[in-house]
Amino acid sequence: MGQGPSGLPPGLPDENNNNNKKPEKPKYEPPPSTRIGKKKRKGPDSSTKLPTVFPTTRCKLKLLKMERIKDHLLLEEEFVQNQERLKPTDEKVAEERSRVDDMRGTPMGVGSMEEIIDDDHAIVSSTTGPEYYVSIMSFVDKDLLEPGCSVLLHHKGMHVVGVLADDTDPIVSVMKLDKAPTESYADIGGLETQVQEIKEAVELPLTHPELYEEMGIKPPKGVILYGAPGTGKTLLAKAVANQTSATFLRIVGSELIQKYLGDGPRLVRQIFQVAADHAPSIVFIDEIDAIGTKRYDSTSGGEREIQRTMLELLNQLDGFDDRGDVKVIMATNKIESLDPALIRPGRIDRKILFENPDQNTKRKIFGIHTGKMNLSDDVDLEEFVGAKDDLSGADIKAICSEAGLLALRERRMQVTATDFRSARERVMKNKVEENLEGLYL
Amino acid sequence: MTAVPKPLKFLRPHYQELTDLYDKWPEGELQSALADVMSVLGMTYADSGKRDSLRYRLLAPSTSEEIGNWGHEYVRHLALEIGEEHPVRLEKEQPIDDIKNLALQLVPFFLKHNAEADAVDLLLELEAIEELPPFVDKDTYARVCLYMVSCVTLLVSPDDQAFLRTAFNIYLSQKQLTQAIALAIRLDDHDSIRAVFDATDDVLMHKQLAFILARQQISLELSNEEVQECLSNTRLSEYFLFLAKELNVLEPKVPEDIYKSHLEHTRGGPDSGLVDSAKQNLAASFVNAFVNAGFGQDKLMVVDEEASSWIYKNKDAGMLSATAGVASILLWDVEQGLQQLDKYMYSSEEYIKAGSLLGIGIVNTSVHNESDPALALLSEHIESRSVPLRLSAIIGLGLAYAGSQRQDIAGLLLPLVADTSLSMQLSALATLSLGMTFVGSCNGDVTETILQTLLEREEAQLSDKWARFMSLGLGLLYMGKQDAADVIIETLKAIEHPIGRNTQVLVDICSFAGTGNVLKIQQLLHLCSEKSDADKEEGGEEKGDDLYQGYAVLGLAIIAMGEDIGSEMILRQFGHLMHYGEGSTRRAVPLAMGLISASNPEMKVFDTLSRYSHDADLDVAVNAIFSMGLVGAGTNNARLAQLLRQLASYYSKEANSLFMVRIAQGLLHLGKGTMTLSPFHTDRQILSSVSLAGLLTVLVSLIDAPSFILDSSHYLLYFLMPSVHARYLITLDADLQPIQVNVRVGQAVDIVGQAGRPKTITGWVTHSTPVLLGHGERAELENDEYVALASTLEGLVVLKKNENRAEED
Repeated sequence: MGQGPSGLPPGLPDENNNNNKKPEKPKYEPPPSTRIGKKKRKGPDSSTKLPTVFPTTRCKLKLLKMERIKDHLLLEEEFVQNQERLKPTDEKVAEERSRVDDMRGTPMGVGSMEEIIDDDHAIVSSTTGPEYYVSIMSFVDKDLLEPGCSVLLHHKGMHVVGVLADDTDPIVSVMKLDKAPTESYADIGGLETQVQEIKEAVELPLTHPELYEEMGIKPPKGVILYGAPGTGKTLLAKAVANQTSATFLRIVGSELIQKYLGDGPRLVRQIFQVAADHAPSIVFIDEIDAIGTKRYDSTSGGEREIQRTMLELLNQLDGFDDRGDVKVIMATNKIESLDPALIRPGRIDRKILFENPDQNTKRKIFGIHTGKMNLSDDVDLEEFVGAKDDLSGADIKAICSEAGLLALRERRMQVTATDFRSARERVMKNKVEENLEGLYL
Repeated sequence: MTAVPKPLKFLRPHYQELTDLYDKWPEGELQSALADVMSVLGMTYADSGKRDSLRYRLLAPSTSEEIGNWGHEYVRHLALEIGEEHPVRLEKEQPIDDIKNLALQLVPFFLKHNAEADAVDLLLELEAIEELPPFVDKDTYARVCLYMVSCVTLLVSPDDQAFLRTAFNIYLSQKQLTQAIALAIRLDDHDSIRAVFDATDDVLMHKQLAFILARQQISLELSNEEVQECLSNTRLSEYFLFLAKELNVLEPKVPEDIYKSHLEHTRGGPDSGLVDSAKQNLAASFVNAFVNAGFGQDKLMVVDEEASSWIYKNKDAGMLSATAGVASILLWDVEQGLQQLDKYMYSSEEYIKAGSLLGIGIVNTSVHNESDPALALLSEHIESRSVPLRLSAIIGLGLAYAGSQRQDIAGLLLPLVADTSLSMQLSALATLSLGMTFVGSCNGDVTETILQTLLEREEAQLSDKWARFMSLGLGLLYMGKQDAADVIIETLKAIEHPIGRNTQVLVDICSFAGTGNVLKIQQLLHLCSEKSDADKEEGGEEKGDDLYQGYAVLGLAIIAMGEDIGSEMILRQFGHLMHYGEGSTRRAVPLAMGLISASNPEMKVFDTLSRYSHDADLDVAVNAIFSMGLVGAGTNNARLAQLLRQLASYYSKEANSLFMVRIAQGLLHLGKGTMTLSPFHTDRQILSSVSLAGLLTVLVSLIDAPSFILDSSHYLLYFLMPSVHARYLITLDADLQPIQVNVRVGQAVDIVGQAGRPKTITGWVTHSTPVLLGHGERAELENDEYVALASTLEGLVVLKKNENRAEED
């Protein structure tokens, strides 16, 4: 980069640059490939990047190295401040900026980069149709140029005078969770082993990577939460989102099914791109069975598209590129229908089973849900806890709110034991009817 | 966390009561058992800052094993509290014996449980690192020492010396002599080096040690003649030619092979032939000298009698450099070299004769010959009446005896320094040669003479452009000596002439070379930001007064190059310096960048340099071009070659810039890509002060390139020769004959503090020796047929048949 005359060298007109490309000399050696066109995606520019610090274990050496970096940064700050104090550069910057603006001219056309010929020439197409072979101005950041990106063109000469930053699909940015959900770990009754497992696999690698390093293992990449409906899979994911300071992206499997061919895989790529850009991050894919079902020969184009989306997901999970600090949580209640490739170790290292709560857990869940309710003295929750009903966490929540509704119907300020009993009956009846339906089919 | 055993978790609410209870209990076994438990509880339940854990631990006497039974987390916590307690006690002047004893109990536990970093850190906190060696055994020493050695560059004095010393002792006691000698060299302690030699009677081992010392150019009197021969590098040329033969690069190259001007995009206008042809011929002489360095043959000068007419294609001083180029081609080969140079010795042309004198110096760099031909031939010309002859004789001595610290050289050159009636050029170069000879020795006589002459000389003389080499000569004497230079710096403050200040900076930067000292860097940065005030007050000052700022910029590189973090971070500083600086600061920045990554062509660096090579200030551009050569020196980097070709066509009308482009191209293909200019060797651990001195001399002259290198003093470029080393790995058998074995060569991996037994190299390729090692590459033997006597496979390595091999099969 920069071997073209950048800036304005004295006394040497640079018109030679255009005509010296043409004649082919004997014994042509191909020039080493140029760097442009391969946009560097990850992280800041290499010239401003801080050195990476090894070892990653907790030790004095690491501390010393970090301190050394800090010292140097302080020195840098001090130097720049001194210099700024002595001769402010604002004016100079403003002047240079206005010169660049002059060179750019107004208005600027918007075109798209078709092909990069060499370090300072490219083929662009304008929105009106024709394609042009134009030169790239030296002040354009060539690291940002890549085929297909939008560029600003000079209105007369059509030179490339700037690059328009292309944003990721707005759909993806919606998935980024800005406001953390209110549910925290305290709102989960029981599920102790599950909480521990997910913490080990997802949170700890992001906060304490050195622990894994010390042990000499690679931290797990992702987990899948599975189990009967209403056992708290989504709730746990919410708690993780609430707790972590990492970027949390949440997606529902069905969102990945798009109308146009190729859109689904593209969306998957973009999601993981955003995740990598904002690393450390956690990607939560709910109802993964929407796209992750077993592959089979299908004649329907739609089916095949869904499968391709899954294949892209497979690649993103454990593909060629290292994704860095991105952890994946998936949730489903039909793990047996998932494609085995999706949940193999290496892609998903931990499978966390959620079961219907046992007595102790039930008690805790009742405790959590009734904690904010006004109960009369005669309510004895043990009666419900001890019953041999097959209750899930969601059912318990339903019983509690149903009981509350019943009390509300009678305009009482307290929920009595009778409310609870009838609420339980109602809930159980609905549940049983659901189950019985199967018999008549 | 899970560190507290579950039953003890239930004691949490009672922690306060238990503390009260402890005081009430009578002394005895039960009480100390309680203290034991309390100590564990204190880890999580006590308020931070109280260090209960440690307090109770001290109340409950126990053995290392018992402490260990409470788990790793607990032991670590104890170590943490000890670390916190120590400064508090020191402040209150309380005894620290008890915590120290406890620490010494913890150390074996750490070492046994793969936590050598914790053990070292703990002892560092207690400033008791010397206690470590008894606990280290043959299973743990490697990791412990590796960790300690990598800490050294980041520690402040005197901890760093203590670390080196301790690691040295451990290596010595574990019989890892080659590693020990590397540390002894870093300690710069001849007694330690001796101790390593005394530790074994194995002659082969002695030879291996001598090879390592020879690379650093340390001279030592040894009893065994063969070992002495290894130490004086006598067979260097032989080994290098062996490498060249194996790699099939014996075929000499002409400058055109390097320029590849058919790939340049020449404009082909009628004016394309206008460039100064003398300058071009001179450039070609240098390129020829660099490219064929050490190979013993070329196509321009050495081939046969008629071809020596090439020398006559140069003018005046050009002839000097061209003749000296012959020596460069015969580098390290004293006998052949002297034979070839002999015919020029009697030339009627003064400059050719001078060139041959300089050549004698060059042939003898890095090689010590018993008959001392350089001294014998050069000393008679020291007093010659012709200036060029004297000049080259002086430089020749400096090159030939760089780092040797020989008193007879001092005897020859000191009168030249002291003689104030002599021209500044001669005196200054004599000083410089003394500096090279006594580099890093703090020699009192030499220092005194130089100071004396600096004080006595008239102002006009001190303002001479050559005076800077006098300052540099003084600086070189204190290379890497850190605080030993303080006295000199104080003395220099007495000199009112600007040279006093310049010399101070030079001495300062040399004395902290390779330390990575952040405070020094800060001082230098302050120096760099000073000028702006001065400029505002007095308007344009006369040129040259800001020279010390240029030195300061070079100093940033010299100081930071000692450790990786600093050298990466300092590159950011250079960006700012380039942005805000002016004058010599800007001229020095590209040079400093080149120095810090000499022979390490990193895209990041040469990209920036290539940008600077189009700078509006032609001096900056010229320096950037040279640095591009320096960065790629001896690597044949294709991308750099292309950039330089583009520069060649870009500057095809600028004689000076084009000259520099050619030099850079020559450097890029130094020794046809088999050599390096990097001052670091042995796994980038040891900084060779001789190499650095050579590089620094050239860079200092380049700060004012138009009056030295681009003028008629281009022979200063030959100061690069002491920094030229082959980047080979040659394996030798017991008779020191090269043998072929398979080695894996790959990118070195930093394995400090990693768990398990990680690979030390990555992405390796198997070659059979001899092989070239690039920057940051490491080699290891492919199989266990042989064992290497050296721990680092680099340079010349002696191999021994592995006797245990058969048993394993």
